[in-house]
Amino acid sequence: MSQPSSDHAQDHTDVPSDPALRVKALESLLVEKGLVDPDALDVLVDTYENRVGPRNGAQVVARAWVDPAYKQRLLDDGTEAMAEFGYSGGQGEKLTVVENTSSVHNVIVCTLCSCYPWPVLGLPPTWYKSAAFRSRTVIDPRGVLSELGLELPKDIEVRVWDSNAASRYFVLPERPDGTDSMSEAGLAALVTRDAMIGVAKVASPTAGGVS
Amino acid sequence: MNGIHDMGGMQGLGEIGYKESAPGFNEPWEVRLFALVQAMRTGGLRTYIESIPAPDYLRMGYYERWYTALITKIIERGIVTRAEVDSGRPDTASVNASPALTPEIARDLLFRSTKTEQDVELRAQFHIGESVRGRNINPATHTRMPRYTRGKTGVVERDRGVFNLPDNEETSAEHKPQHVYLIRYAGRELWGEEAPPNDSVYIDMWEDYLEPA
Repeated sequence: MSQPSSDHAQDHTDVPSDPALRVKALESLLVEKGLVDPDALDVLVDTYENRVGPRNGAQVVARAWVDPAYKQRLLDDGTEAMAEFGYSGGQGEKLTVVENTSSVHNVIVCTLCSCYPWPVLGLPPTWYKSAAFRSRTVIDPRGVLSELGLELPKDIEVRVWDSNAASRYFVLPERPDGTDSMSEAGLAALVTRDAMIGVAKVASPTAGGVS
Repeated sequence: MNGIHDMGGMQGLGEIGYKESAPGFNEPWEVRLFALVQAMRTGGLRTYIESIPAPDYLRMGYYERWYTALITKIIERGIVTRAEVDSGRPDTASVNASPALTPEIARDLLFRSTKTEQDVELRAQFHIGESVRGRNINPATHTRMPRYTRGKTGVVERDRGVFNLPDNEETSAEHKPQHVYLIRYAGRELWGEEAPPNDSVYIDMWEDYLEPA
């Protein structure tokens, strides 16, 4: 698939034949020109590698499961309720939280690019950005979910949320059975990134997984 | 733009490649590039990503598109020259842009909410519960109206408030603030009678994308 790197000087398509080297070269150029402060760059890398990610979203989900008043605030105004944890939409977008129930299943996608709630889920996985997921989820959500291992009964209503520049979406998964006695932290540990995208359910901690 | 990026509803675009717990970054250069884009504060890259020719767009990975778009944009803005990118060495004649982002600002960049909602009082043309139709428009430049909504009728679920029309933000210096509505489209309206009766697609639409149904 990938082409062997040929004559760089002839290559004006900007397709990096060796992306790592090209990005390094670009970084050095921008630093040398004073356009980028290397310390600021390190802070940003650390942010995206360590400070954002699905553990943030999982905390929010667990709180909503144990605190009905918080859950109501979250569903009424996701932006405000996430701010209670110090999370924002990422670039000023509104955050809308949609709730999965026994009768409604929500799944998020971005058909035009790959909009995603970075602060609470981190950066999206490769499959979320794939042409196949972006194109097919709106026209055949049940087929896509089934391919990803989630079979939904016919009587479940499926809602697809096509994320746009002004709004980012986040799925509040259903609390699994067998978790009544669990602590908030224990619950947060059960919540997966894929359940907050809406392509999976949160598995019950009891043997047998998804109930 | 009716570009390859506007792919909602297309079929035959290959495998999803789903992996449970797949990471957000696969290679160290991806996160460095992502951070570089944020550090440069050059604003959105969507127009530049959408302008990548379709065959290249499909061949490239996500962060390769970002790389291409970033370079195209900073060359176009005169922040670097093509010769500098090719050689990797600064040209003494080329100008520098604004001062670099500092580590102090970088620390909270992602968590600082720079609100995009506009504090402007504008009369809403549409109301909750009203039926609206996607206008048949084919702008050759950036838009956030996917083509699968054109000519399709949906129902206003929420009024999101006032936001600047993204189409204008990319092509003109003039802002065009207007209401944005959450619209629910029945799956059958979008995809025909074969679609399951109780499935639907929700999407935010700017007022200029809609007309009364």
